[in-house]
Amino acid sequence: MTIQQVFFLAVAAITLFAAVMVVSTRRIMHAALWLILALFGVAVSFALLETGFFAVVQVVVYIGAIAILIIFAVMLTRQVFLDVGPQLNRGWWIPAVLVAGLYAALVGVLSTWSGFQTQAAALPEAASDLSQFGLALVDVNAYAVPFEVASVLLLGALVGAIFVASDRKGVER
Amino acid sequence: METPAFTPAMFLAVLPELGLLVLAGLVLFADILLRRRRERDLGLLTFGGLLLVAGLTLVFSRPNLVPELVFGGMLRMDWATYVFRLVFLIGAAISVLFTMDSDRRIRGGAFYLLVIVSTLGMNLMAASADLIMLYLAIETTSIPLYVLSGALVRDQKSTEAGIKYMLFGAFTSALMLYGFSLLYGFTGTTQMYALKDMFDTGAIPTAALVLVALLILIGFSFKISAVPFHFWAPDVYEGAPTPVAGYLSTASKAAGFAVLLRFLAVVFPDLYPSWLLVAILAVSSMIAGNVLAMTQKNIKRLLAYSSIAQAGYMLIGVAAGTELGYTSSIFYLISYLVTNLAAFGIVVIVGRTVGSDEIASYAGLSRRSPGLALALMVALLSLGGVPPFAGFIGKLFVFAAAVQADMIWLALVGIVNAVFALYYYLVVLKVVWLNRSENEEEKIPVTRPWALAVVVCVAGMLLLGTLFAPWYQWAMQAATAF
Amino acid sequence: MIPLSWYLIFAAALFCIGLFGVMARKNAVAILMGVELMLNAVNINLLAFWRYLYAPDFAGWTFVAIVLVAAAAETAVGLALIISVYRRRSTVVVDDLSLMKG
Repeated sequence: MTIQQVFFLAVAAITLFAAVMVVSTRRIMHAALWLILALFGVAVSFALLETGFFAVVQVVVYIGAIAILIIFAVMLTRQVFLDVGPQLNRGWWIPAVLVAGLYAALVGVLSTWSGFQTQAAALPEAASDLSQFGLALVDVNAYAVPFEVASVLLLGALVGAIFVASDRKGVER
Repeated sequence: METPAFTPAMFLAVLPELGLLVLAGLVLFADILLRRRRERDLGLLTFGGLLLVAGLTLVFSRPNLVPELVFGGMLRMDWATYVFRLVFLIGAAISVLFTMDSDRRIRGGAFYLLVIVSTLGMNLMAASADLIMLYLAIETTSIPLYVLSGALVRDQKSTEAGIKYMLFGAFTSALMLYGFSLLYGFTGTTQMYALKDMFDTGAIPTAALVLVALLILIGFSFKISAVPFHFWAPDVYEGAPTPVAGYLSTASKAAGFAVLLRFLAVVFPDLYPSWLLVAILAVSSMIAGNVLAMTQKNIKRLLAYSSIAQAGYMLIGVAAGTELGYTSSIFYLISYLVTNLAAFGIVVIVGRTVGSDEIASYAGLSRRSPGLALALMVALLSLGGVPPFAGFIGKLFVFAAAVQADMIWLALVGIVNAVFALYYYLVVLKVVWLNRSENEEEKIPVTRPWALAVVVCVAGMLLLGTLFAPWYQWAMQAATAF
Repeated sequence: MIPLSWYLIFAAALFCIGLFGVMARKNAVAILMGVELMLNAVNINLLAFWRYLYAPDFAGWTFVAIVLVAAAAETAVGLALIISVYRRRSTVVVDDLSLMKG
């Protein structure tokens, strides 16, 4: 076993453990902190895939923005923050069985696919050229339309989030 | 399929989207600049803008007979895109008419802006020919709709509807996305029209494709609220502002069908289990929707369950998988659009005066507002499939398609369901026409935008139910263009 | 070296854990966290496929970028809705959100 393999296994184990803690820990604040660890593990695995760009984006967007947003939400809904009752539905074993079945099906099906055991070839030079990626995003013959629509989506989400979260006092029946 | 290089003429292919973007900007600025009487003016601006965009689309975005991929294969210009775009734009315009004057708590341009953005997303859903574009379009549609469902921020039911819709939507779209990622992994392409050729090489195990189809169908079933992914629908329809519920049950459902039809026709045409799954979805949606609708006391919940059953009828055409099947589904969608918008619209109008959505509070409606009672009768009879209204022709074609595709059992299940469903529509009509109430002298005011919208919907139902040939022609051109 | 299968098995596990969180958790914020885990699993899948089989084509990268944008938008709107519900009800536990039944 090479050092790289050992490193990958360690990262994967930590990430999956953190993920299990996210979905099982009682205190929601702790879950948020475990989530940050899991997201960081994903960022490291991106780096192992030689996509350093997305490793950085993962840290900035997921940990820097999304996780912090979640922590804000946890703190704003503070009663839950103190909530230490059971955090799982009573019938939680049904999803557990379903998910285990899905996992077995996924791995079983994937292992019958011919590309499953592919070994990594050296990454072509062009693949790490970020400026080419930037050009592809604004090229009308490539991904310009999704790129523009993504900005519309963000505008809609921005307006929508402000619309529902802006404070108007009082409760109506 | 070849992807031609960009030419400026391709901008015509996204004319509706560009128009909607301009309109969104106008609404935002008008919201800031117009201070007095702005609620109504913004509604009129949005309505006019949507109509204008629909008109421009009708004239300038008419596709060639040979479909073409545009913008690097992201979008496809064909008759299916064209017809569905018009459906969404008209659905949105009518929904905006019903929104005006409906609820003082719906404030400002943000509401209309979100309607426009989600309509833009639906347009792109119908046009998408690429997995990346499709996922993005679905999110662009859904995210504004989550907010619109929770738009009455002081109303507990509405905020709850928003959160339920959001959680369920995020969950199913993540499942679907995992399916997309596997499709990319197996084939190396995200171009929907290239996927099938890669399947045909036989390098991908069928079991893997079935699993992927299952994951993706879950995402689509959520959008069309087919059983067993319908749980959100009754709660969301009841809690959301009524015009939004109408919009969700018609345009949003049509968008779900647009991608479902394209996906099945283009990506999985030879995968038998996926068609079987659709047939199962159809049967379970019809039965569960109709059975649960029988016991409802709230008209919005009744319409929610009825819309689940209606999705089941439309899925019959999809499951048939033939040209007639597709045509009948699209025709059904068009007739369902005007019918259900009218039904929800009348709920808006009555709810504004009566202040309740309970079926019992519709007693004496025929005396308080004969016109509305008549329109409601037309809408419910059309939903029930009674001639000479649109719903009858729609059901006729769907069942014929099932028979033609040797799925007589499916047609029989549909017919039995349609007969039973008529019962609960008639119960509502009985309350409206026969039951008496104390305040029968009190008239129900109908503002001009509402009157216009109701008249348009009723005319649509009659037109589609009698002179159906030209619309059927359109549906057929769309069905054969995928 | 690490074969592709390791990444795919890792991603599938992360996806399933997230899915379990979504289906079993009561708290709306925790459900959203489960969705984030699922979306991360999708991104690992996409980048692994890209790295092992399809580099240097940019489809995989674009897909990942779009997923990131959509995830950010979805989380922002989701948390805004959660805060909006919390203001009215002082709870974000989905089981307690049962004004409407049947």
